[in-house]
This record gives sequence, C-alpha cells and structure tokens, in this order.
Amino acid sequence: MDDPRAAPADPIGAGTGVLLISVFTIATCGLIYELLAGTIASYLLGDSVTQFSTVIGVYLFSMGVGSYLSRHVRRDLITRFIEIEILVGLVGGLSSPALFFAFTEINAFRVVLYGWVTATGILVGLEIPFLIRILEDEFPLHDLVSRVLSLDYLGALAASLLFPLWLVPQVGLMRSSFVFGGLNVLVAVWTSHRFRRHHRRPWLTAQACAALVALGLGGVLADDLMTWSERRLYEDPVILSRSSPYQRIVLTRGDDGVRLFLNGNLQFSTLDEYRYHEALVHPGLATVAAPRRALVLGGGDGMAVRELLKDDRVREVTLVDLDPMMTEIFRDHEAFAALNGHALHSPRVEVVNADAFVWLESNRSRYDFVVVDFPDPRSYSLGKLYTTTFYRRLAGRLNPGGAAAIQSTSPLVSRRAFWCVVETVRAAGLRAKPYHAAVPTFGEWGYVLASPEPLALSDAFPPGLRFLTPAIARSLFEFPADMAPVPVDVNHLNNQILVQYHADGWRQYARNRPY
Amino acid sequence: MAEPRIPPRRGLTRRDVLRVGPGAAAAMALGCGPRPPAPTERALDAGRITGTIVGASHRTGHRLRDGARPQPREVRDIPVVIVGGGVAGLSAAWKLARSGLRDFVVLELEPDAGGNARWGENHVSAYPWGAHYLPVPTAEATATRELVAEMGLILDTGPDGGPVYDPRHLCHAPQERLFIDGGWRGGLSARDVVDPAAGSAAAAELAAFEAQARRYRDYRDGRGRRAFALPIAAGADDAAIVELDRMSMREYFDRAGWSSRRLRWYVDYCCRDDFGCTLETTSAWAAWHYFCSRPDDVEYLTWPEGNGRIVRHLLERVGGNVRPGMLAYRLRPTGNAGDRGVPGGGVDVDALDTRTETAVRFRARHCIYALPRFTAPHVIDGYPAAGLEAFTYSPWMVANLTVDRAPDGAAWDNVLFDSPSLGYVVATHQDLRTAPGPSVLTYYLPLTVPNPGAARAWMIERRWRDWASLVLADLVQAHPDIESRVTHLDVMLWGHAMIRPTPGFIWGGARRRADAPHGAIRFAHSDMSGISVFEEAQYHGVNAAEQVMRALGHAHATSL
Repeated sequence: MDDPRAAPADPIGAGTGVLLISVFTIATCGLIYELLAGTIASYLLGDSVTQFSTVIGVYLFSMGVGSYLSRHVRRDLITRFIEIEILVGLVGGLSSPALFFAFTEINAFRVVLYGWVTATGILVGLEIPFLIRILEDEFPLHDLVSRVLSLDYLGALAASLLFPLWLVPQVGLMRSSFVFGGLNVLVAVWTSHRFRRHHRRPWLTAQACAALVALGLGGVLADDLMTWSERRLYEDPVILSRSSPYQRIVLTRGDDGVRLFLNGNLQFSTLDEYRYHEALVHPGLATVAAPRRALVLGGGDGMAVRELLKDDRVREVTLVDLDPMMTEIFRDHEAFAALNGHALHSPRVEVVNADAFVWLESNRSRYDFVVVDFPDPRSYSLGKLYTTTFYRRLAGRLNPGGAAAIQSTSPLVSRRAFWCVVETVRAAGLRAKPYHAAVPTFGEWGYVLASPEPLALSDAFPPGLRFLTPAIARSLFEFPADMAPVPVDVNHLNNQILVQYHADGWRQYARNRPY
Repeated sequence: MAEPRIPPRRGLTRRDVLRVGPGAAAAMALGCGPRPPAPTERALDAGRITGTIVGASHRTGHRLRDGARPQPREVRDIPVVIVGGGVAGLSAAWKLARSGLRDFVVLELEPDAGGNARWGENHVSAYPWGAHYLPVPTAEATATRELVAEMGLILDTGPDGGPVYDPRHLCHAPQERLFIDGGWRGGLSARDVVDPAAGSAAAAELAAFEAQARRYRDYRDGRGRRAFALPIAAGADDAAIVELDRMSMREYFDRAGWSSRRLRWYVDYCCRDDFGCTLETTSAWAAWHYFCSRPDDVEYLTWPEGNGRIVRHLLERVGGNVRPGMLAYRLRPTGNAGDRGVPGGGVDVDALDTRTETAVRFRARHCIYALPRFTAPHVIDGYPAAGLEAFTYSPWMVANLTVDRAPDGAAWDNVLFDSPSLGYVVATHQDLRTAPGPSVLTYYLPLTVPNPGAARAWMIERRWRDWASLVLADLVQAHPDIESRVTHLDVMLWGHAMIRPTPGFIWGGARRRADAPHGAIRFAHSDMSGISVFEEAQYHGVNAAEQVMRALGHAHATSL
C-alpha cells in the first residue's frame, strides 16, 4: 500500500540499528507490562487463570486496535514513534503503582486494570507498524518483516524468561514496572538523540529525559510505595508483615490497638479480643471438675493459652498450631508476646507445630479440656476441621468428664453454618451446648461446648476477667430469635456442606453491609 | 498498511497437544496432527523433570506369544494353582483362604501383584497406576460388601439398616470439577456438564437423558432383578434390555435425536473413563450400565494408592501364597483322573521363575486361570483361539506426576473438557492435613482408536519424553504453571488395559462361551463380564474359587 509520507526525510541509514534494538526493547517491555498486570490482578483478586486469560486477551486485542489505528498517522513518523515510546514507558512504568493504588483507593479496580491494559496494548500496537514504515526504504519488505518480527519475538522470549526468574523474585512487582518503563524511555532518549536531525524538535529529547528521571525516582522509592500500598490494604499502619509457607501474617497498630490479620482476615483486635477469648475458654473450662491437662488446637497467638493459665487448676497446656512463624512471633517478639502475657513462655505450656488433624490422629494422650480455635471454614481444607471425623477424633482425646470449646463462626451472619457445627458435633456422638458472645470487631460470635457426658454449667471463673460474670455467662446460652436453630445437614468429609453454608452466609452479609 | 503484529505465543491459554510423531494412530487417538514444540518442553529439555517409563513387562508377556517353552526341572503337587495375581486371581485366593483352604499358589508375572489395581509410592504419597476407586457396593455385590466389611470400612449401621461408611475412606469434598470455557467448574454430572439454558434444546435432551436413566435404574424384571446390576450376572437378561447391546451408544443418541454437543461429550467421556472406548465403539447396553447400575448419588471409596489399598488388604490375607515374577507359560490338562482323585483330571502348570530363569511344574488338581482371556490359546494346550477374537482391549497410558504443590482448589477428579485425556486425580486428596503441600497427580489417557493393535504398536515406540511432553501440553491449558510445578513424571503403558464392551460383545455369546471350564481349568477375569470393574473381577474370582471348593468337596459358605 502506498504511504504518502508528506515530510521527505533524510535516509535513515546507519540509524537502523537503533531502531531494530528498540523493536527488541518494545517487545520485552510490552510483555513485561502484560505479565505485571496479570500477576497483580491474580495477586489481588485470585483466580490466576481468569486474570491472565482476560489480561492477555484484552492486551492482544488492544495491540490489534493500535495496529489498525496506525494507518491514520501519516506524517512525522519518527516524531510520533518517539512520543509513543515515551508514553509507553510512562504508562507501562506506572502500571504497578497505578494498579495497587486503584485497588486500595478506589472501588473500580477492574476498570482501571482493563483500561490500563488497553492503553498499553494500543500504544505497543502502534509501534511496530510505525517502525516498519520508517524502515521500509532501508530494506526490501521480505527482509524487513523478517528482521522486525524476529526481534519482536526474541524480545518476548527475553521477557518471559526474565519475569519469573529474576524480576518477580529479585526486583519485585513495583520496581520491575519502573525499571522497564525506564528502559523503554531510555530507548526513546537514544532514538530521539540519534534522529534529532529527522525530527528537529530539541524538546523531544528533553521530554524523554524528564520522563526517565520521573521513572528513576519511582524505582528508587519502589519499596516505600509497596509498603505504603500494603498499608492502605489495612486501616492502620502495618507493624509486622511476614509470609510463612502457610499464610500471610500482618499485624497493624492503630489508635484503638493491635490487630492480627491472617491472609487478610481479621483474627483479633486488642480492643476486644479479651471478650472473644474469655468467652471461648472460661464457660467450658469452669464445667470441668479437674482440668489438669488442656489442649489448644489452632490459636497460635497464645491468647487462649493466656486465658487457660489464669486457672490454677490447669497444670499443663499443649498448644498445637500449624505455623511456627505464628507461635514464634507471639512467643519471642516482646511487643506481641506482651499481648498474651508471655503465655507461650510459661513452663506449663508446650508448643507443638503440627497439622492439628494429623496430630490428633497420631497423638494418644487424653485431655480434660480442649480449645478448638481454627479459622472459619472458608475452604475445603479448613472445612475438614469441622467434620464428624474430626470431632470423633476429638472425642477420643477427651477424658471422661472433659469438654471442648469450639469457635464456630457467627450465628448471626452465618446461621446455618453455626447450627451445622452444632449438629455435626452431635452426629459425632458428643453432647453440644451452643452459646454466643458479642465481640464488637467481629460481631455476634458463636461457640459450641462439646462433651462426652452432659455438662453442668458453672460460675466458678478465675479472678481478673473483664467480660465474663456469672450472670453474663448464663445469658450467653440463650439464643435470640434471629439466631435460633435452623434445620441443617451434618458436615462430613465427603459432603463438606459447612463450607457452602459459611460462604452463603458471609456472601449475603457482605452484600447487605451498611457501607 | 503495515503487517499486523503477530502476538507472542505463550503456552498459557493455548490448547496444546504436542507433536506426537507421524503415527496415524496417534493422530487419531489424540485428535491432532504434528504440531510445533510447546513451551512446556523447556523443562524437559533442561532435564528439570525426571522420570521414566515403569513396569514394561510386555516383553516378558510377549514370551508367551513367541512360544517360550523351557523344560521344568522340578515338580510340585498342589491342590489349586491360580494363574494371575490381579483382582480376579487375588479374590479367588481370598475366598479360598477365607474358607480355610490354604494349600494353593498364585503365580504372578509382574514383580507386584494387583493387576490394574497396582500402585506406586514415593516420598510424597502413594498413588495408583490404574483403578483408583470403588463405588460403595450395591446390594447385589455381596462379595464386595463382605470384603469392605472385612476391611473395616464400615463404621456403623444406619437407621435404614444399611452400612454407614467411615467418611475417611469416602471420597472427600470437593469430588469432581471440570475445566471448561477457560475456567474450573465444580461437579461432573450430566447436568453440571451440559449446564443448559432453561428452555433450550440441550435442556430438553438432558431432561430426556436423565428420565431414561431413571427408568432404567428403576426397572425390575419378572424375577425382581434390576436392568443393570453389579455384578452383571445378578441383573436382568430380558430382550428389552439386552437388545441395547446391539447398537453403539452413538446410534442410541442418534435414534433419540440427542445432538447436544456437551451431552455427547459427557457420555463419550464416561465411556472413555470406564471402558477406554468412545461413544461410537461402546455398546449402548454397556454405557447405560455405567449410568444405571449404581444410584445416581453413589459415593466412592478411595485411597491415595487407589484400589491398591484393597490389594494390600487381600495380600495381607493371601500374600504368603503369591509367587511374583512367575511366568506361567504352559497349562496342560491331564486326562487320567485316577492319580489325582478328580473326575475331570488335573492340570500341569509349567511356570518360569523370571528371576532365576528356572522352570517349575505344578501338578494341580484344579487351576483358576485369572489372566486376560486373550492369552488363553498362547498358554493352554489345545485351547481354541476361535471365539476369543471378540475379546478386544483398549490400551492406556497412565502418568504419575509429582508436583511441589497440589493445584489450588483441586478436586479429587479433575477433568478437562475436550481433552483426549481423562484429566487427573489427586493422590493426596484424602489427606487430612489442612496446609497445602506436594502431591502426586495421576493422569489417565485411554487410546481410543478403532484399531487397538495399531495403537499398541505405536505406544511401544514412544519414548518417555514424548509422553511427558504430551501430558504437560494437555495440562498446561488448565494449569499455566504446571511445568514449574512438576518435579517427576513416571509413565506406565497398559497394552491391554481394559476389555472393550463393543456393540454385540456383552450379549453376543462370546462371553458366555468363555465361561466354560477347560478340563480342570476354570476361568476368572472381568473380561468375562465385558466391563473392566472391580466388582466383576472379584465376582469371577470368588465364583471360580467356590466352584473349585465344590469340586474338592471343601465346605464353605457362599459369598455370591
């Protein structure tokens, strides 16, 4: 097709090398932006197959749009090319901070995500047609297409290797974005300088340099930006953030106290965790005549252990938590160990890091009182810890006259899930006494007391409790109409109906939340 | 206008079945022709994924076909010899031992007994090499119920008087999922797969399909027998039902006017899964048997090593009688009855100990021949080959992939829509641990070409790398990171994995003729049912054992 380029340019001549190198750079950077967008979307939204598929689809489509639009640019190709390179560098380079910002600050992450991917795709899609047209007088078409496209694919290969092997593990998502944006602009600076006689715009090189400085600054500040954006995910400043093989542990400190998040889910706030843990431990513990040996399953924060140690009758506590990082933080970091009164350092306490179900299968000891404080049954793997099979194992570890207190999600938010735990405990051959307590940061929270023999409630609580009194304790066993029993199925390993109940309840709650 | 930019290709969403060589059979089996190498080959090229083709005993087996005939140096007298240590042979042994008859030997060619229920084990988990579950046995499967009770799988008696199974052994949730339309969806019933829009033609077909399944499930013949029972021997044989065997399931679909692509895919998938045959090559009777012999809410008993767990149990009972590495190369019925006290005479079983290369002759009063039926003319003197050509077998490839982490959200059975494979099962699914960890994925590929012989020849030529890249290219569609997750990949080739219930086979007479004893040799194999499932293999094994005990006058209670 003829191309009426209005401005007759000098021969490109020796500049072809620069342009071919820029093909390679554009291809590398383009794919890196796409991988960054896919990775960040998977990281923030989950479901990596959907995220990658849609990001790649939108990106490739937008490149097609860019290629199509390139026909409308007819003059000053080199100038346009350099401008677009600067723009790609800026848009691509700012993609990570923009996406993190969009997620934490505004409620339209997907709009920003696909908008950003579309913009990058269109710009990248414009570049190759431009280049081919700039170079069309330098090489015969067959040679030109072969050079440009092979460099293009080579660049893609470089990106696909660099990304998983070096960028994600070593450089980080935030800095990778700045580094490659900068690289993109660097090529623009070079091209602009090399072809200064073609475009005759002294400011173009200066603009490119300014963009380069901005991206460089971003690269230097990348760590701070990452920390900042992570803090924005939580309400309060993050004071500790660690990833174990099992979960992401984040502790924040605000005006109203310390909060623990596991994989983004609130576990406690020091504002009212005493309510949760006193209600979890003492009503059940008081029913046991001689609770010498106690067991805590889950609860690596040591708060339940702290409550157990308040009762002098408890001589030994075994804490079984999956994650050594959790128990280490709450045993050895002064700031956090203080929250549980250094309970994990007590000579009465033994800490075991093991998977609770497997540990129960292999351990033959018996206990007088067991605290079951697992995360909510949000997944099938957690749901196993709320099945008849688990409670049968648990029953086998209880001494006659013993009892277990089980955290059982919110009977108000997920009523069926709560009563499903109650029925599952009963189906496993145990007595079940359901109760609940108000924990402001959680809402109405539910517990089940499980025991081989009928339990007689008792008011004999240890001194120093802030929430429980005999009168309050009695009231906890009364259920108002909006939390009253509903017919439910029993949760078995082979149906895991509880996971469904739980998801339904909380999904509805999230939908109807007042804000 | 400039050249459009061709996007960089990244084996992410691309449906990618690998270059599998020029074999036409292969192309047919895998639904593709030669393709360029996939990105998943990088890990193979780099040698980062290790593995091998394991258990290639076809060479030893083919010694039978090629007429190996060493002279036995040693002669032993023994009342009963069982040839073949698969589920049928071990079940015969189990029944004999359970009835107090302990003087017998089981000759097994492979180093390990178990047949299709063999298993492997590595530092991560045990894993199946073939059969990987047992549906909770139906009322007719009396021997199977006896076995599961003996294995301690039953916790209690339910309010209806039926057994309550220990949930640890029932397949945990989530059981099944399907990769379709670029994402995973839970469930794998016809309804889950077809997922019809209300009022669509597909919805009407699905409803008709389900209604037909209910009718067949509820059907009782004049003697109160179900249309499709397990074992088949306990079911109806009236013409109305049996005539389904004359057509393929494809013809059944055509006659019913069912054309929904997803319903066809689903039933074809089930046929491939259970029989290694397609919609076109499976008899309609066999296909409906699959759907209607068990309740539609059937539960599955499963273990990391699959049905290897059942084999382990059987071996606890009879392992002392099993002689692995023994190739029974010649069976000769002996006519003169007198010296062995059996009216029909006895049988000489010549076997080669493949480890010492020495031959032994077992002079038995009875023999239970529990090998696939096609081998009989190669091994048994004077056994007519005629009639056995109706017995055809589908070849399978099974791969076990060790992965550093089980896929997120994995179900027990993970199926890929429109893949030639059956997807994979997760060996650690029944694990009670909550933390994510490494696992073993068992990947199944039946080679469903019309000519299984050609497929077998083609299979033997493939190297490990060919299989490994094929498996990875299939799985990468659903798991973009599969290549970086797999550390080890072993392959097992099953030349004669499953009897094929092609139209006319099950009710055509060949099966019944194969039941007839040959002198003192009785036959036991799921081949004789025409479907390769545990209950049938066990039924034939137990049945042969009971016949032998009757002939020997050995008192026993029947399990059938």
